[in-house]
Parts: sequence; C-alpha cells; structure tokens
Amino acid sequence: MTNTLPDEELVEKILRRDESAFSELYDRYRRPIYSIAYRIIQNSQDAQDVTQEIFIKIFRSLSAWDPEKAKFSTWLFRLAANHAIDCWRANRRRPESQFPEESTERVDWRARIGDAIRSPYRDVERKENVETIRQCADSLPELQKKVFVLRFFHDLKLEEIAEMEGCSLGTVKTSLFRGTQAVRRAIRRSQGMK
Amino acid sequence: MRSKEIRHYTEEELLMHVLHEESPEYGEAIETHLEKCGECQAVRQEYLHLVKDIQGWPVEDLAEGSWLVRKNQLLEQFRSDPGALRRKGLSHSILKGFHAVWDYALENPLPTMGYIAVAIAFAVERTVSVFRLDRILPATSEVFELIRQML
Repeated sequence: MTNTLPDEELVEKILRRDESAFSELYDRYRRPIYSIAYRIIQNSQDAQDVTQEIFIKIFRSLSAWDPEKAKFSTWLFRLAANHAIDCWRANRRRPESQFPEESTERVDWRARIGDAIRSPYRDVERKENVETIRQCADSLPELQKKVFVLRFFHDLKLEEIAEMEGCSLGTVKTSLFRGTQAVRRAIRRSQGMK
Repeated sequence: MRSKEIRHYTEEELLMHVLHEESPEYGEAIETHLEKCGECQAVRQEYLHLVKDIQGWPVEDLAEGSWLVRKNQLLEQFRSDPGALRRKGLSHSILKGFHAVWDYALENPLPTMGYIAVAIAFAVERTVSVFRLDRILPATSEVFELIRQML
C-alpha cells in the first residue's frame, strides 16, 4: 500500500519520524542513487558507501526540500550527484585509491571480449566502447561529468539540470556537448589504434 | 533565403535533436533539413550510435542481501538520530508558515491591513483593561470606549 504513496506524502511521513516511510524511500531510490554514485566514482564498494552517506544526508536535510522549487527526485539526484562528486574529488587526491578496481575490471573485460569473439563484431565493438566511455567519463571536469551522468542515465531534462545547478540552459547544453564530444573523440582514437 | 536553406546544423544542435532537447518547432525544422542533407544525417546517425553506446554502460549490481544489510544499518541510524530531523522540521515549519502569511499579505494587502488594525486595537484594549491604564490616563478611557464599541 505504501509503495503507491507519492514522494511528497512519503517525505511528510519521514518528517514525522515514520521509519517504514524511510524504508520505503530507500527501496524506491537506492538503485538510482547507487547508479549515480557508481558512474561518478566507478568503484562498486565506494559507490555503496557513498549511497549510504547520501541517504544519511537525505534524512538530515529532508526538511530543506521545497516542493515548489523542484521535484523530489530532482532534488534527490542533485544531492546524490553533488555528494558523489565530492567523494570522487577526495578519492582523486589519494593516489592509492585511484582506480582501485581498474585492474580487475580490465581482466574481466578481456575475458568478456574473449567470450564475445564468436559474437557479431558490433557486440565486441560496443563492449570496447563502453570501456572507453567509462575511462573518458572519469576524466571529465565536474560539471560535464554531472550533466553527462544525470542526462544520459537518469533522464533528467537539461532544463531541470540547469535549474538545479543554478546555471543557464546554454551552459548545461555546452557541458553535455563537450562531455559527449570528449567521449566521441576517445572512441575514435581507440578505434583508430586497432 | 537559399543560404538559410542549405545551412548545416551544428553537431551540438544535432546532439540536442537526438536527445529531444530542442523546441518542437526547431525539431521539425531539423527533421526537414535531415530529409535533404546526407551530411547532417550521417552526423545524426553517429550520435545515435554514440548515445546508445553511452547508455549501454552497465552498473555493477549488488546482491539483495547486501542492500538489506545496509538498509538495516541505515534504519538503525535513522532511529538513533532523531534530533536533526525534528529540529530542522520545526524551524522549517515556522519558516514555511511565515512565508505563507507573507505571500497572503502581498496578494491581499487591504484585508491584511484590516486584520492588523483589528489585532492592534484588540491588543491595546486588552492592555488597558488588564493594567487599568484608564485610571492613570483618564482621558484615554473615552478613546478606548470607542474602540470597544468598534470591536
């Protein structure tokens, strides 16, 4: 019954300290939030920790959400993206934790590519492209990275992103275009090297 | 006129078109152009593939058990950290109430001024009655009698 509650009512209940409502909110949003964290941090373990921290932040700042200013999901994704970017930035300053999963993932991808030799060529190419995209997304500047993740994977419209970032639509469009261009160039380079 | 017709769209415009991020009218204009322009069509096609590849980036999923453990930890924290929510909730409610009153006052200035006048008159009348100020300042008693009649 609770799972049909609109976000606004769920938030009201959480503000009245309803634990089951918070549990419901967690079930509803854990995957999209983890997915934002994962695509920004690119490490499953860290993304899980960050997801946890984001939920703590959510219940501590829930009363700051203004339904007249933004949809709940938009407010939530903004909070998640900002926190994930902060953690990503902090991780980059610690050399030992930079790309901790890279080596295992590479082995994994080689194995998968090996399996895919029998598959159509486009399949292998797509998998290689995904790896290039992953590496390239990690090197994007903060705003480009945020816009890239929120637009391509969470279907937020650019207008919504502009509103939540407090910048112009033009800036957001340019950020997305530059990020996409960087990925496109990286893919072209990787294909040219083959 | 002709040069406008053969203007190629920029790659940014074509990417926005692929993502349906332009106005419907602008989108139609691009579609019309694409029907005639192979060059722009090729760029659009490339962006379509690129967007598909980008959106094909998988997320390493977690086992249900792992979510459950983390959820329980979080609920534990939710139970043991009531202060932040309650404090912020109260101040937020007060602030919200103030904003609502302020918005009403801006939208309905005349009734608001009436309410304020009544509130002030009532407060003055109560102050005078409680502290018996009419005995100290006898001349005011007539004024307050008038106010009383108005109320």
